[in-house]
Amino acid sequence: MGKLELQKLTRGAKIRIGLLIFALILPFLPFVTDYLLHIAILVLLYMILALGLNIVPGFNGLLDLGYVGFYGIGAYTSGLLTYHFGLSYWVIIPLAFMNGAIWGILLGAPTLRLTGDYFAIVTFGFSELVVLFLTNEIWLTRGPLGLPGIDVVSIDLTLFGGPKWEFIGELPYYYLAIVMVLITVFVMYRIQDSRLGRAWFAIRDDEVAAVSCGINLLAYKVIAFAISAAFGAVGGSFFARWMTFLSPDMFKFWESFLILCMIVLGGMGNIWGVMIGAVILVSLSEVLRELLPLLGLPADVRFLAFGLIMVLMMRFRPAGMLPIAAVAAQMRAGRTKRRKSKPAMGIKK
Amino acid sequence: MIPTLEIKALYKNFGGLEALKDISFNIGRGEIIGLIGPNGAGKTTLFNCVAGIEKPTAGQIILTHGDRTLSIGGKKPEAVTGLGIARTFQNIRLFDNLTVIDNVKIGRHCRTRSVFFGAVIRSKFQQAEEKAISESAYQFLEFVGLKGRGQEIARSMAYGDQRRLEIARALATEPQLLMLDEPAAGMNPQESRDLMDLIRRIRDNGITVLLIEHDMKVVMGVCERVVVINHGEWLAEGLPQDVQNNPKVIEAYLGTGAANAA
Repeated sequence: MGKLELQKLTRGAKIRIGLLIFALILPFLPFVTDYLLHIAILVLLYMILALGLNIVPGFNGLLDLGYVGFYGIGAYTSGLLTYHFGLSYWVIIPLAFMNGAIWGILLGAPTLRLTGDYFAIVTFGFSELVVLFLTNEIWLTRGPLGLPGIDVVSIDLTLFGGPKWEFIGELPYYYLAIVMVLITVFVMYRIQDSRLGRAWFAIRDDEVAAVSCGINLLAYKVIAFAISAAFGAVGGSFFARWMTFLSPDMFKFWESFLILCMIVLGGMGNIWGVMIGAVILVSLSEVLRELLPLLGLPADVRFLAFGLIMVLMMRFRPAGMLPIAAVAAQMRAGRTKRRKSKPAMGIKK
Repeated sequence: MIPTLEIKALYKNFGGLEALKDISFNIGRGEIIGLIGPNGAGKTTLFNCVAGIEKPTAGQIILTHGDRTLSIGGKKPEAVTGLGIARTFQNIRLFDNLTVIDNVKIGRHCRTRSVFFGAVIRSKFQQAEEKAISESAYQFLEFVGLKGRGQEIARSMAYGDQRRLEIARALATEPQLLMLDEPAAGMNPQESRDLMDLIRRIRDNGITVLLIEHDMKVVMGVCERVVVINHGEWLAEGLPQDVQNNPKVIEAYLGTGAANAA
């Protein structure tokens, strides 16, 4: 019976199940050290962030350079609620999700009427504002001193007479991150295949035609921005409880750019592509961090490498490593000539 | 004649340019009306005003819906679609990266409701709605003659098929009035004949059709009444044959000498 079902699975499903099993047993493989596990968690965290950001440029075709602002908001929401009120992580997650969405709406509603580059500039400004706020509002955030001593995640069953289990070390966080990635992917797939997702794709492909189908552009862009921000904040809330320390310089513009790079590298709008982008760039970043000092270069030179990757991708494979189905089909057909007025896939100008 | 759409003294200025000057005409229920005029006469501007993409400078556009009358001049385009006016575009505007069926499904947007939570938890309501969207989308596809091609990518379709798909998407919004902007442009004679047949079938389903067209064979073949505009002004209106022989129309198209020769 089991065999029969396995044969029925498509190749894609088999790969997925294989990868999931690999991810689940990864911590027990002999060569995996604590450091490697730390990187793996980082990869998973960036997968959540990249999947969240993907909604705006990938599904809606809008350039968002300020994603890290929502990440920071989520992290400090989580950090402060833990620090001051000792709230449980499981309560904080929905609160962070909502807080991210609220800020997404507050920023998006007045600014999403702007088009193309102007909108990108506003988002960039927003993320810088968040960092300035976190640095200067010392009464709330302790400013540059940072926010230390945030509680670790715990599962507290003492209320029901059960045990209390605190997440110590990397292992529990690794599995927590896997669960969060799985939920995020699940949500993304469901949205992608729904009226909401179709409305977003319509906006991405042709705004005028989208309007003539009765789609309210502003409303659907704000929804996109809010959901994207909410996932950023959820990523941030995980980060806060995992690191148990926050400081404003963790949320610099670089992070936004790095997450955007993941999307562009992996394939804008493609859920799998975006996740692969996260794997590649996070691991590359770590490798370069180790490698560059050996070559006598400062570790920050790795940002230069990201820039180079972006340039090369734009030149040779603008749709990313795993492009969305339509672009992939077009590439297979060998039709590289595209209509001048409309790029195959990309950010609206 | 019960009007579906009344256009009353419509003006549209772009800065100093008067694109539309005092245009008035009615479109009766179930009619197929042609809107013709030389290039730059303001036909597409008129379409855009009705569709809500341009805001008229002055004048009224009134849609009759059963026994209700609604003024749509200056309403937002998505609201106009919701009220029952659908359109296609002169230079085809499809969602290029999506499948054919998804293009039509997006046309169902204004008649459906689910948003985020419905999509994530797949509520019973959302599932029923998705099923209905899918079924009706396939019906519209079949209606325009694209049965069995739902999974193709819109971008990769032939030109004539893209035109049909655009019409299917417009029909999916369940319009009272369908506005077609040069639907026969670039079509061969056979495709044009199929198109005329399609337009008649759309009308037979109770939908009023307003079309801009340069292909006179199509205009003469399918339109029951023709409105001519020139330099943004109403020029003539009537049966296709009458309009064709109207000296003022000939003059507008071919110049004064031609009118005298005729």
